[in-house]
Amino acid sequence: MDSEFVYLKPPSLSDLLKHLEPWGEQSKVLAGGTDLLVLLRRHSLSPAYVVDLKGIEELQRLEEVEGGDVFLGAGITVNEAAHSGLVQKRYKAVADAANTLASYQLRNRATVVGNICNASPGADLAGPLLVFDAKVQIVSARGKREVLLQDFFAGVKKTILRPQELVYGLILPAVAAGERSLYLKQARIKGHDLGIVGVAARLDSRKKFHLAMSSVAPTPVRLTRLETLLNDSPWSPELPEQAAEAVREEIRPISDVRASAAYRSHMAGVLVKRAIRYLMEEG
Amino acid sequence: MCVEHEHKVAETYLDSGLPRVRVSCTVNGESVSRWIDPTMSLLHFLRHELNLLGTKEGCGEGECGACTIILGGKAVNSCLVLAQEAAGSRILTVEGLGQGGRLSVLQEEFIKEDALQCGFCTPGMLMSARALLDRNPEPEEEDIKEAIAGNLCRCTGYYPIIKAIRTASEREREASQR
Ligand SMILES: Cc1cc2nc3c(=O)[nH]c(=O)nc-3n(C[C@H](O)[C@H](O)[C@H](O)COP(=O)(O)OP(=O)(O)OC[C@H]3O[C@@H](n4cnc5c(N)ncnc54)[C@H](O)[C@@H]3O)c2cc1C
Ligand code: FES
Ligand code: FES
Repeated sequence: MDSEFVYLKPPSLSDLLKHLEPWGEQSKVLAGGTDLLVLLRRHSLSPAYVVDLKGIEELQRLEEVEGGDVFLGAGITVNEAAHSGLVQKRYKAVADAANTLASYQLRNRATVVGNICNASPGADLAGPLLVFDAKVQIVSARGKREVLLQDFFAGVKKTILRPQELVYGLILPAVAAGERSLYLKQARIKGHDLGIVGVAARLDSRKKFHLAMSSVAPTPVRLTRLETLLNDSPWSPELPEQAAEAVREEIRPISDVRASAAYRSHMAGVLVKRAIRYLMEEG
Repeated sequence: MCVEHEHKVAETYLDSGLPRVRVSCTVNGESVSRWIDPTMSLLHFLRHELNLLGTKEGCGEGECGACTIILGGKAVNSCLVLAQEAAGSRILTVEGLGQGGRLSVLQEEFIKEDALQCGFCTPGMLMSARALLDRNPEPEEEDIKEAIAGNLCRCTGYYPIIKAIRTASEREREASQR
């Protein structure tokens, strides 16, 4: 690597937070490193310290907590989430998305929380976590706070996180039996590519739709207008097609190296239609 | 290794000039320990410190899979791991696949099925395949494709590789039943 930094691997959360308190501005937290090490290599970042969180045992948890919620710690890798029975059964869209992120060997390192903290507009795990109303647990030497994931993203690759803060983990609120969800991703090739469009959709036990998309706005977004339309309409065979048209009105994608705005918009409609159709058939 | 080759290898790695740190780990069953540049990747540690040149550097950014090794039982892109992150870990590289001067079943099947031409992707392919067969001795074609989707090959068209992994899995299963 050609950047200059000191590598630290604190053995406990309090040690890590004690370091970030004075040195946060000059430090970068290292989880899986699949975003961070690329930036360091390209000289896009030059922190004085790279602080590895993998030495902290309590961040390696993925388990049910109070009230049937699920806690997913900052050390949990994308493959660990993809292979977790708990995630597959209750939050299928999250497992779907985890299985489409990058390659198998990258998923062995990349973390779920790192995907959110990196805050790419195309972050595959963001949409699925948004439709489950995930909460982000944030800690610093001064205390804790919790925000909705929806309020966590602040722009392209920007979050509300302060340099002294660490994301401790995510809370996935309890789901009722019989809920359905899925994640559909359109990429240029089947394996190993960033998405052109990603659609996360969930039908809850009260038959309400929850939808979110990646790669169509500066941040991953919840499709609130589409949700209202769907949840106010009676179910009919035309509903998926209506949803496809509505989503093309709601989003304003851009053109980039991967796809034109027109193609993104078209595919957003196609994927929303498929997702709604799937949820209506299964539900 | 010839001098010219050694020189070329050295070009890809830039030293940060920071004070050295000590990294110890187990590579292909042997304990190793070196004082290294703290910003060095695991890939460069293997190639430059240990002179294990089997592991290749393609993109250096996680895209091509040429640098795939097995770290703590899992396939990873060694270009996206700092050598310091691997301290205390067990590492397997392509050099550790064969035993007693003999190629492994997987390597033999790659040769038999013409699963390599230029060979640049091969060490990474073999390590992704090894990790797959370790976690799933009876993979379906889709499992194989998933396991090697992050290993790019410009030569073979992939099918001979998929076939080689499948036949290796069959041979390994037969051997373990005997
Ligand atoms: C070849 C390649 C392909 C990729 N393909 C995809 C893809 O298909 N889809 C996709 O969504 N992404 C993809 N990515 C991006 C990346 O792999 C993911 O975003 C991954 O989930 C990042 O997790 P990480 O643990 O590696 O993060 P890191 O690189 O360790 O960290 C990412 C950022 O988040 C910060 N951070 C991490 N954890 C915390 C924490 N707990 N608290 C505070 N800050 C934190 C770091 O400081 C850094 O700024 C790809 C990357 C590569 C190199
Ligand atoms: S060199 Fe590591 S993935 Fe290409
Ligand atoms: S054999 Fe040449 S890249 Fe695969």
